[in-house]
Order: sequence, then structure tokens, then C-alpha cells
Amino acid sequence: MASNVFDVLNNRACRGLALGALALMLGTGVAQASTLEVSNARLSLLPGNTPGAGYFELANSGEETVTLVGAESPAFESVEMHVSSEHEGMAHMHAIESLDIAPGERIEFAPKGHHLMFMRRIEALSEGDKAEVVLEFSDEQRLPVTFDVVSPASL
Amino acid sequence: MYKLLFAGLASFVLAGCSDQSWRTTDIGDIMPPLDFTLTNEEGETVHGEDYRGKATLVYFGYTFCPDVCPITLSRLGDTIRDLDDETRDNIQVLFISVDPSRDTPEVLKRYTDAFGPEFIGLSGEQAEIDAVTNRYRIAYEYGEENENGDYLVTHSSAVFAFDREGQAQFLMRDSHPVSDAEADIKRLASQGG
Repeated sequence: MASNVFDVLNNRACRGLALGALALMLGTGVAQASTLEVSNARLSLLPGNTPGAGYFELANSGEETVTLVGAESPAFESVEMHVSSEHEGMAHMHAIESLDIAPGERIEFAPKGHHLMFMRRIEALSEGDKAEVVLEFSDEQRLPVTFDVVSPASL
Repeated sequence: MYKLLFAGLASFVLAGCSDQSWRTTDIGDIMPPLDFTLTNEEGETVHGEDYRGKATLVYFGYTFCPDVCPITLSRLGDTIRDLDDETRDNIQVLFISVDPSRDTPEVLKRYTDAFGPEFIGLSGEQAEIDAVTNRYRIAYEYGEENENGDYLVTHSSAVFAFDREGQAQFLMRDSHPVSDAEADIKRLASQGG
């Protein structure tokens, strides 16, 4: 439903205003640019200073492929895109530089697959808090997303 | 002839109904009993035999792991919380860190406390860790350090299960249906001893 609202407001002049309004309407865990929609944004975090994992869904309703190239957050010193995999009984994890999302495609960052790895906390965060994150794309587009800080037990 | 057939059939049926048939991978005949020398969350030297008396699940990982390790431990925690109080008292989870330079006893204590009182963090000298990983025929490997000195560790994805006498029972992987893993954990924890 939210995407329909936004399609109507496709005028560039309206975009900033509409984004603000949408942010208010939709609350956290959701962000939207003209053709990109993020939902279910969660940051899995444990007490202490161990790294967190970011999970979300990202849908591209535009007509161009977009390329996610990274993320940053004022709450962490560094954020990397990673993918976990299992091969011959071993759990592997490696960084990825970019991820293409084709027109009409919906990708999922989910446990034991793609995730954002949040390292070295700058702000103290715990379950129930919100964390501001900006997703970065190759066309310089930057998409702000508010992640809900959750326990891995909730996933 | 009939007698022979019957005997064969009976032994087949009995094997199928045996207490030792786990839904996940049975390792009773191929893995040695629980044994190691490691350091606990209080910095004390401990041995495998110290953990006899309860069903024991063992997972090898590291706390700098943001995704696979916390998710695996949380799912074990969910299964354990579903047990009734008495059964829950009969199970423990040993999280053996293969990354002792970052996973000090203090770090491990804070980490395992987040998953529940049944979770115990262990680590040790590299030679001690190698002894236990070799014993269970698993490997681990450190990745290259980045400019911040951070590095990733490739580690075993399996959870090993031992009975309260420390005898190897079954091994769970992500490829096993969650319902099978849960059923085996519940049965193991419910076994009398």
C-alpha cells in the first residue's frame, strides 16, 4: 500500500516532503526512495562489543538495475556487506563489494545468508533501541533506514 | 528358512526402534566421548569429565561472528526454553571458541549469558583447541586481518551432542529439518541417567 502512495507522489519537488511524511507514517524498520523500498530492517545485537548483523528486505520497483555498494551508520565505526555460506560442514563468511537488484527484484538479507556486519560500536545500543543506517548505491543514491535493534533470539 | 527370515526381520525392526536411532546424524560409533582440557569463563582449567551428568551440546565458533554463531546458539536456546523445567536442568551447551586471542573468559561470559544459563563458554591455548578440534575431526581457519586488525574465522557449522555419560550421540547441521533437531535434543535431555 505504501508504494502506491509513493507512486502518486512521483514529482521531484514533492519527494523530500513525501519522504519525511512517509517516515512519520511508516515508523521504523521501513524506508523508501522513489523506486526502492526497504522493509523489516533489524539489527541483531548482543551485549558487549561483539559485531551486529543487519537484516532487511529491499525491493526495486524501478526500471533500472540498482547496485547496493555498502552502508554506514553513525552508531558503528564500520559496516560491511557479508554473506555467510556453508560448505562441507564449515561455516564461511566473506565480504562482498556490491549486489545488483534487478528491476522488479526483491532481495532479502537474512540469517545465515546476506547480512550487514556492524563493527565497533560508537553508541551504546541495546534491544529495543533504533539505529540509523544509510544504504549506499552505485548511482550515489543514499537511502536512510532506521533499524530496530533486536536480540538474535527474536530471529 | 522362515526362521532365518523372521530373525532377520526382527533384528531389522529392533534396530529401527533402538534407543540409538536419532533423526539427525548418529555419531555414536564414530566419534569419541567428550574429552578436552580448556579454560572456562572464570579462567579455570576444566576437563570434559567436569561436564558429565547432563546432556551436552557442543558448538565451535567465535564471538566476533555476527550472523551464524548467534543465530545457531539462539535457536538452541529456543529449543531449550521449550523444555519443561526438569528436562531443562539436564542439558547444557558448551560454546568452544576457536579464537582465544579475542575470546577471553570475560568476553565469553558476557556472550554466553545472553543466550541463557545453560550456555557455557570455553576456550584455551591454541594447542588445547587443536586437540579438541582434531578429536572431533573438524577444522577452523583464520582470515586475513583488515586495517583495523579485525579478521573472520571459518569454523565448523555442526552441533555435536553427547549424553550425560559423555558418549557421542548425534550431530546436527543446518541441512537437518529444525523439527528433527528439536526432537533429538528433547529426547537426549529427557533420557534418564
